Amino acid sequence: MKLIAGVDIGNSTTEVCIGAAGEDGTFRFLSSASRMTTGTKGTLPNVLGIKSALEEALDKIRQPLSALDLVRLNEAAPVIGDTAMETITETIITESSMIGHNPSTPAGAGDAVGELLFLENLWKGKPGIPYIVVVSNRFSYEEASARLNQHIPELDIRGLILQADEAVLVENRLGKKVPIVDEVRHISKIPEGKTAAIEVALPGTSIRMLSNPYGIATLLGLNAEETKAVTPIAKSLVGKRSAVVIRTPHGNIRENVLPAGEIFFHGQQEVKVNIDAGADRIMDSLASAGEIRDIDGQENTNVGNMLRRIKTSMADVAKEHENDSEIRITDILAVDTLAPVEISGSLAGETCMEKAVGIAAMVKTQQLPMQKIAQRLEQELHVKAVVAGVEAVMASLGAMTTPGTKLPLAILDMGGGSTDAAILQADGTVRTTHQAGAGELVSMLIQTELGLHSRVTAEQIKKYPMGKVESLFHMRLENGSMQFFEDSIDPRYYGHVVLLAPGEMLKVEEDIPMEKILEVRRDAKRKVFVRNALRALSIVAPDHDLRKIPNVVLVGGSAEDFEIPEMLMEALSDYRIVCGRGNIRGVEGPRNAVATGLLLSYLGK
Amino acid sequence: MVVNRPSIIIYCRDADEDLLREVCAGIEEEGVLFQVQSHEGDLDTLAFDAANESMLGSGIGIRGVRLAMQMQRLPKGKNVFELNAPSFRQCRNLGANSARAIKKMPFKPIYEE
Repeated sequence: MKLIAGVDIGNSTTEVCIGAAGEDGTFRFLSSASRMTTGTKGTLPNVLGIKSALEEALDKIRQPLSALDLVRLNEAAPVIGDTAMETITETIITESSMIGHNPSTPAGAGDAVGELLFLENLWKGKPGIPYIVVVSNRFSYEEASARLNQHIPELDIRGLILQADEAVLVENRLGKKVPIVDEVRHISKIPEGKTAAIEVALPGTSIRMLSNPYGIATLLGLNAEETKAVTPIAKSLVGKRSAVVIRTPHGNIRENVLPAGEIFFHGQQEVKVNIDAGADRIMDSLASAGEIRDIDGQENTNVGNMLRRIKTSMADVAKEHENDSEIRITDILAVDTLAPVEISGSLAGETCMEKAVGIAAMVKTQQLPMQKIAQRLEQELHVKAVVAGVEAVMASLGAMTTPGTKLPLAILDMGGGSTDAAILQADGTVRTTHQAGAGELVSMLIQTELGLHSRVTAEQIKKYPMGKVESLFHMRLENGSMQFFEDSIDPRYYGHVVLLAPGEMLKVEEDIPMEKILEVRRDAKRKVFVRNALRALSIVAPDHDLRKIPNVVLVGGSAEDFEIPEMLMEALSDYRIVCGRGNIRGVEGPRNAVATGLLLSYLGK
Repeated sequence: MVVNRPSIIIYCRDADEDLLREVCAGIEEEGVLFQVQSHEGDLDTLAFDAANESMLGSGIGIRGVRLAMQMQRLPKGKNVFELNAPSFRQCRNLGANSARAIKKMPFKPIYEE
């Protein structure tokens, strides 16, 4: 009996599968495991990940590494995916002139206009001039309200701006009802003596005057030219509960439309498209260019830099090749998105939603140095290692082990870096394609659109369903149902959105409503996977007609997702395609298709 | 007829005046009513009884410089937050959290910072 291992190196995970072949031609699958891919796919650092995955799989059947007789590696598809994001507009406000944020408890309501005056200079105030008083957190609420009350009879105080979270406390002690904005972090940047307009929304509503250019014009007495200049401010204040706009005559506020640049597609046709046109137009242009040799961007523009960066980061891999230093991008997937960008010169950390485009690019290299990996593996493990079989063919073979499938069979391999499709005909011919854009692009979209600090949180939001902890004994899940707990939930989670990872709850630190996260998550998945699935399948389909594909098996890491397969099933049912998550060997789920295929192909010989 | 106003109950025993004032400020800033009363028992009892007495189901116990926040239906001794000789900021946040418990809003950080 011989122990044989199949090894599949993917962009993000390395999967292994171990089987035993008897002398009489019988074969049994024994064990499998998966690990993070170490290093870029197709490079020597991969060996580390392969070894630990093999160890784990062998451990399950209590065998040492030395018991292996043969390791079969996949001829990995020579494509590597990368993602990048670039904003194409930006708002610049020089000479800090606005505050717009959502303090949890502002006080008072309505709008007011006045000259800015710091509390410590209150004695300098003159009667008859309307003032907005600025209070730093050096003053306690008691001291601040006492000082203000003392001056209220003579001075015309119209509104307050506080640094501390004490708006309600001050309001309760003040002899006069005025709008109060609090939690303004960089209060020292406020220019004293300038005219400012302040607004606090009624509970449950958002501001009306300062989010409207004409409202600002009314309050600050602006002419038509100046009103045009404050439009970006009004735009970025939409939906806020409180705001301050300061009139700075020499201040410069503008919305910059960055030189976004053009993308050049070098294919059967030479096509160029401006990135401003949006993702749909970009993808249409890509399709009209036919087979792509290379893609690049206009020099010294955002998109040009972005595509160059992708190529540079791929150069490492290229160095592994002997006579091939040229990196060519052969496919991209462009997605429209919005990114919250911190406004330069903001006083309370305000952000503005800027138009952005996310791009996943795929680099095709001549051939990955798999042979070198096999040699290194042989040296380190003292086990014979061979490169066997093309990835897509192996994946199809593995997918065939899903119960209920028949030829011709299409697979959709949705991994981290690329979405691959292959169709296996009854006569054994295989057609394959690789498309840029998969799980990693989805994570990037989630991260930017929600303005998350860490990519890890974005990955988790992508992977797990969520709920909101509404009391210490129950939470409301994203589908509206409730879950109750015997023991009280840790108070740290109270009121937060939590992700339901197996065995634990993960808190989303950012204060974002669950509905918003849900919308962004589903949208990102749909934008990437549904578009890519249709794109990839129509390339491999006979006569490019999707209806000629009877069944599609979804494999790869992203097929494990709890909602992507359903989304695809819905989209593909329009073409009367049977589509579903694969179940390799009836036990593995959508994972391990290639590794399984590698063992099956050994049997075939 | 006695009418209980919907408020957070704070039960005190030899409570430190400064800490109490900060706790009250925290509740006030969140816009919730509160009542301060003296009460007998250890810290757990003070907090537990306060939460059960409160119509809103949220209570605070203060004994000397020790504070505990409790919510209705939680077992006695299983305080949501407990502080010993805290900073003013911690007291402020503890008060805010007792109000946020009612408003079903995320708690402010109590222990870190």
